[in-house]
Amino acid sequence: MLLLATAAGAQSGGFEVNALEGRFDAGLLLADARIDYRLSSTAREALENGVPLTIAQDLRLERPRWWWRNARVVAHERRYRLQYHAMSRRYVLTWLATGESRSYRSLDALTARLGRIEGWPVVRQERLNADRRYRLMLSTALEVEALPRLLRTVAYVEAGWQLASNTRRVEVQP
Amino acid sequence: MRLLRHQGFLRVALSVLLVLSLYLLSAATENSARFGRLYIWLLLLNGVVIVALVGLIVNNIWRLVRSVRRQDTGSRLTLKLMALFVLLAVVPGMVVYTFSMQFLQRGVDSWFDVRIENALDDALALSQAALDQRMRDMQQRLEEAAGELADVSAAMAPVTLGDLRARTGASELALLGENGRIIAASSIDTADILPHRPEEGILLQLRQGRPYVGLDPIENSGLHIRALVPAPGPQGPGSNRVLQGLFQVSPRINDLAAEVETAFSEYRELAYLRGPLKDSFSLTLSLVLLLSLLFAVWSAFYLARRLVAPVSRLAEGTRAMAAGHYGTQLPPGGNDELGSLVHSFNDMSRRVAEVRDAARHNQALVESQRAYLETVLGRLSSGVLALAPDGSLRTYNEAAGAILSVPLAEGVGQPLGALARRYPDFAPFAELVAGHCQGSASEWRAELGLDTAEGRRALMCSGAVLPGRGDSGGDVIVFDDVTALIQAQRDAAWGEVARRLAHEIRNPLTPIQLSAERLQLKVGPHLDDDEAALLARSTDTIIHQVEAMKDMVQAFSEYARPPALQRRPVDLNALVREVTELYRSEGQDPALQLDLAADLPALQADPGRLRQLLNNLLRNALEAAEPEGCTVTIRTARGAGRYADWIELDVQDNGPGFAEAMLSQLFEPYVTSKARGSGLGLAIVKKIVEEHNGTISARNINGGARVSVRLPLMAAQDGQTGNGE
Repeated sequence: MLLLATAAGAQSGGFEVNALEGRFDAGLLLADARIDYRLSSTAREALENGVPLTIAQDLRLERPRWWWRNARVVAHERRYRLQYHAMSRRYVLTWLATGESRSYRSLDALTARLGRIEGWPVVRQERLNADRRYRLMLSTALEVEALPRLLRTVAYVEAGWQLASNTRRVEVQP
Repeated sequence: MRLLRHQGFLRVALSVLLVLSLYLLSAATENSARFGRLYIWLLLLNGVVIVALVGLIVNNIWRLVRSVRRQDTGSRLTLKLMALFVLLAVVPGMVVYTFSMQFLQRGVDSWFDVRIENALDDALALSQAALDQRMRDMQQRLEEAAGELADVSAAMAPVTLGDLRARTGASELALLGENGRIIAASSIDTADILPHRPEEGILLQLRQGRPYVGLDPIENSGLHIRALVPAPGPQGPGSNRVLQGLFQVSPRINDLAAEVETAFSEYRELAYLRGPLKDSFSLTLSLVLLLSLLFAVWSAFYLARRLVAPVSRLAEGTRAMAAGHYGTQLPPGGNDELGSLVHSFNDMSRRVAEVRDAARHNQALVESQRAYLETVLGRLSSGVLALAPDGSLRTYNEAAGAILSVPLAEGVGQPLGALARRYPDFAPFAELVAGHCQGSASEWRAELGLDTAEGRRALMCSGAVLPGRGDSGGDVIVFDDVTALIQAQRDAAWGEVARRLAHEIRNPLTPIQLSAERLQLKVGPHLDDDEAALLARSTDTIIHQVEAMKDMVQAFSEYARPPALQRRPVDLNALVREVTELYRSEGQDPALQLDLAADLPALQADPGRLRQLLNNLLRNALEAAEPEGCTVTIRTARGAGRYADWIELDVQDNGPGFAEAMLSQLFEPYVTSKARGSGLGLAIVKKIVEEHNGTISARNINGGARVSVRLPLMAAQDGQTGNGE
């Protein structure tokens, strides 16, 4: 049972969740997504000047309720750190949860990898009610709080730092 | 005042809030860890405060402009003070702000040194150059190894790779096939099963036949050199096999490179953050300054208004005083000079009000005294006139008008002469007063005979100069109508004369008459005819004259002692008609004109005495009138004004009138212009009138004499007995 959201979301900041898809595989709900990360020139300049950037991906599964706020089934967050390594002239992407890192020759290669989400496990199928419909939501944003403190004050008010995607929603049913 | 206090509290609260917010803002700028999350809210809060302050200031400016246009009290002073306060706040603030901004910009810039930056750049370039040399070596080693793999099949590759890895000193060797598929791999780290895959871009470059070598910072294991070279297989050069080698740089170089990298990155980051740092400090500084200035301006309004408020109140109070609202009290001010000024104003206002009240009280007192005096003067039987220094009539009492028989109200404010021109009767009095007032004597007395509408009157006048100068001075003239007094004295004298005459003359008259009769009786027969005739004539004459004298004595006696009055209601008109009818029937033909008022009330009087009165008056008039065309008019009327309870009787003839010299003694006995008569006619008339408590007057009008009699409708109690002896 597959539901594919293909509608192009409205541009929000420089990030955009282009596609989100939920699929069930081996008793697990897995999420596939494509995110277009376009850093603003402000952020790109800061990155190239050695300022590490942190990007968070927020994935949530909710059960819609017409009479009250939606019930949250599960919420996951992945945080990545982007850094420029001057000595090797490479961009390093670090998954903060594990410390695992990869380096890329170009920023575009890095953001392309970052924006490709394949098989993100969401929840076990048995936790879901087969009769109900669920809503899978994905959003991503640059974390201003993780910036160096001197930059933070400016980042709160400068538009070039307000990088957050729309929240992409897709209905899934076990 | 309460509103001001309320606003003051609000102001204090707002300033505390503002200071707190500014502190937090600067703390957030300094230390993001504690207040970083608050920063945006603080900015928002300060923004809201700014908007609120701007709103308040605009509102205040609008109110001020409106009050200046309306020209409210104190608005211009408020405007001036406002301008002064704003100038005092803004100019130093802007100076401090400008210098602070310059210090901030220059201070932050001075932390950074171009030489250090260049040195770090050079250090990085040097490190990279050193590593480049090593990378080329590694690439060459890997190319040699790739040549050895040319004949090695995929099945044999793992063994050969292990051997080659040991020889080249690589930490990892991997043979990759089509699309980066791993054919075989050998690693120094046996725990690491999967080799580090190259990225797509590098593989693409390899497919084009170009080898790749580069640095790769691998997490936890330091800096590595990654080299990829084409490795043709047994199938020939056409096969797209790639050999990848990862070489660990020596620990020493690794550490040095890491240090250079860290130092460079940190310096670069710092240099980059210089801009945001300046921006955030500038923003905070500007915000602080803006808030402080706006607050200062807003407070300036408050202070200016507060300073001006007592002045405005004073101005309003003064205006109220000028408008006559004495006793205006202002709310008390503070303990400063303005406060004491307000206190003094209140004191002054209160005193002015007290003085005004006292003046009002005095005025009322004067009014009441004046009313009292007027009442007293009004009840006086004497006439009183007050003259202004210029001789004009200022005031008079009721008796004055009655005595002078002149409407004095017409002459108020005018000299007496003006009144005299309108009423010639008044002229002698006016001349007398004018003559004495112009004199230097402070007091004078004079007697004056005045012809008035009420008859001739004898006035006893006295005058005195009033104290005071200017308007308050002048003269006062007091005069009494002594006519009645003089008349009474004369009447009394005449009564006495009559009584004595009657007594003294009546006694010898009878012996004289008897003697004459006896003489005629006894002597007459002894005389001859001629002598007897002479005697008879003489004795007859004596007897007749004695008879006449007896009659006269009888008349005197009656004059002196009138009979008691028999009062009862009398219709005067009927009486007049009855008496006149008698004259008509006598065969004479006098023209008697009756002008009798209708519905005349009945008079309480003695009809017999009244008939005598009418008879005497008519006879007097007929005798005095022209023999040819004699006309006598009799008029009765009800009195008017203060004579409302009186009945008036006028008898007028068309004769020559009374002689001027006789007028003052007209009603005395033996005053007559006629050849015949006892001379008692009018005297008796007057006596009858006085018995009835009436008044009588005589004057010449329209070429004839007129006698006017006034009789009261109700007889006075004392009149019941008559005033005869």
